[in-house]
Amino acid sequence: MEIVCLGLNHRTAPVEVRERFAVSISQQGKTAQEFSTLAGISEGVVISTCNRTEFYLAVEDPKKAFGAVEICLAEKVQSASDLSAHFYRFEKSAAAQHLCRVVSGLDSMMLGETEIFGQVKEAYRLAHESDATGGALNKLFQRAFNIGKKVRTETSIQEGSTSVGNVAVDLAEKIFGHLKNSEVMILGAGEMSRITAQSLVSRGAKSIFVANRSFDRAQELATEMGGSAVRFDDWQRVLERVDVVISSTGAPHAIVHREDVERARRARKYRPLFFIDIAVPRDIDPTVGEIEEVYLYDIDALEQLAEEARGKRQLQIEECERIIKSELAKSNLRGV
Amino acid sequence: MDRWFLIAATLLAAIGAVWGMVAVHRGHRSRLTVFWMIAAFICQLGFLSVRGQLRAACPLVGMGEILAFLAWSLTLFYLLVGPAYRISLLGVFTAPVVVLFQGIALFPNILEQNPQRVLGGNPWHETHSAVSVLAYGALALAAVAGVMFLVLDRQLKEQHLKSGLFRNLPPIRELLTSLERLLWLGGGLLTVGIIAGFLMPHGNDAMGHLIAAVTVWLSYLFLIGIKQMRGLTGRRLSLSAVALFFLSLIVFAFV
Repeated sequence: MEIVCLGLNHRTAPVEVRERFAVSISQQGKTAQEFSTLAGISEGVVISTCNRTEFYLAVEDPKKAFGAVEICLAEKVQSASDLSAHFYRFEKSAAAQHLCRVVSGLDSMMLGETEIFGQVKEAYRLAHESDATGGALNKLFQRAFNIGKKVRTETSIQEGSTSVGNVAVDLAEKIFGHLKNSEVMILGAGEMSRITAQSLVSRGAKSIFVANRSFDRAQELATEMGGSAVRFDDWQRVLERVDVVISSTGAPHAIVHREDVERARRARKYRPLFFIDIAVPRDIDPTVGEIEEVYLYDIDALEQLAEEARGKRQLQIEECERIIKSELAKSNLRGV
Repeated sequence: MDRWFLIAATLLAAIGAVWGMVAVHRGHRSRLTVFWMIAAFICQLGFLSVRGQLRAACPLVGMGEILAFLAWSLTLFYLLVGPAYRISLLGVFTAPVVVLFQGIALFPNILEQNPQRVLGGNPWHETHSAVSVLAYGALALAAVAGVMFLVLDRQLKEQHLKSGLFRNLPPIRELLTSLERLLWLGGGLLTVGIIAGFLMPHGNDAMGHLIAAVTVWLSYLFLIGIKQMRGLTGRRLSLSAVALFFLSLIVFAFV
């Protein structure tokens, strides 16, 4: 018996192909069980996320098993065209190594991301509960989870924030600690503002105020985020109470000037104020950052921090691969 | 014996400081600093206990004992505030100050070799000395929190965010809250110390000490009042807390 992996991911298949092979979470256990009953296949686990769909199988003959599964998949997606070119196929140790790379976040679109670990665990749990796994895959997945944990704790593969939104949230937490007592104002209801504000809300920001030239759009975004819409002319009044300002308007010139912030300082009792300027051209006059209690970060500063974190993670890949190889070499896995 | 206790306390605080700094330099936070400081605190208690027995009074006679008592008070407030409010690195910043105070106390001729019994002690005098030095301990810790704020503020302003120090310092708002609480605590204790000072018998030679103490007390009250009524930027509050603490050391020159 051998362990094999058949799959596609964001590198091998565009989204229009990936979405056809996606298996919803409610179907993953059932599908794994279905594959494990095909001729020559004794065990199966189906992993399906937005960036990948993978089938881990314990099989008698890899070539026959790949053929049987591909026929089964072609029937499911009802495709006339040959989609098999999008699939990668790994056998034995290569399959085990690939699973460890996936669990460790090395195969993710965002290198080192942590969500995949939980997603693979859930996929394995569903397959296990559907009686689709046996000795070989149980042992492989348990070992992969241990190796994944080791990779994440012994390297910096998940350190630092790799997106502008997360960098901004980390900085906000460095200034204010828990965000549950922090209020946020969004200037301009653009997509980047929405994403950044959503990250702040997900970490507990108390309330959100949205100011936009189009009040309807402000109301729309405010409703979506559970906040309040503010008339654009009123943003200076709101500045007196908020802790974080995210600005991303399409204005061709600065809209927040030093005098605007100076006017609000007394009423704010000189509390710290964090400005996140993600607009190009910039919305906030750089001299605002010279005010003592103001911390001003523009898109370049945030992007540079994200890039540094991504670079740092890239440097860890070699070490992660070494851990995976050495740990797998120590393991006595069936079918690998 | 008492000197050995003080030497041990100084060495333990120095180990805590170095241990913590090395950890921060390597990018993480040492959880052992607090244990080194607890050990230093126990030795400080040993020192104060022996000296107290020899004096048959609160051991606050001469610069050496005052500095040792101040270091004990600073350690005490660190142990009360740091772990309770989870202010990381407070120990790493506090330990060098403890080492400095105790190091000066251990200089030749600073600490009285053969302490004599205090004769004709007055309870108001002892209350004044003990509570005032306790207050300065809290105010010293406020200054330490102020230094931590200034370091973090500079790093955030200049966008130097890669160091282990930056990663491990507590958030700006938590530092300012702790600083403010310590100022209130120190200010309150200092008020009790000043009142007790007025109630104790004193000679004409105490005028310099009295003026210095009242000036320091009023300065702290003014700082707390301004912060409360009008508000103050974190940088000004921190700089004031550090400057006022250095100013307060003048009080001891008149002891």
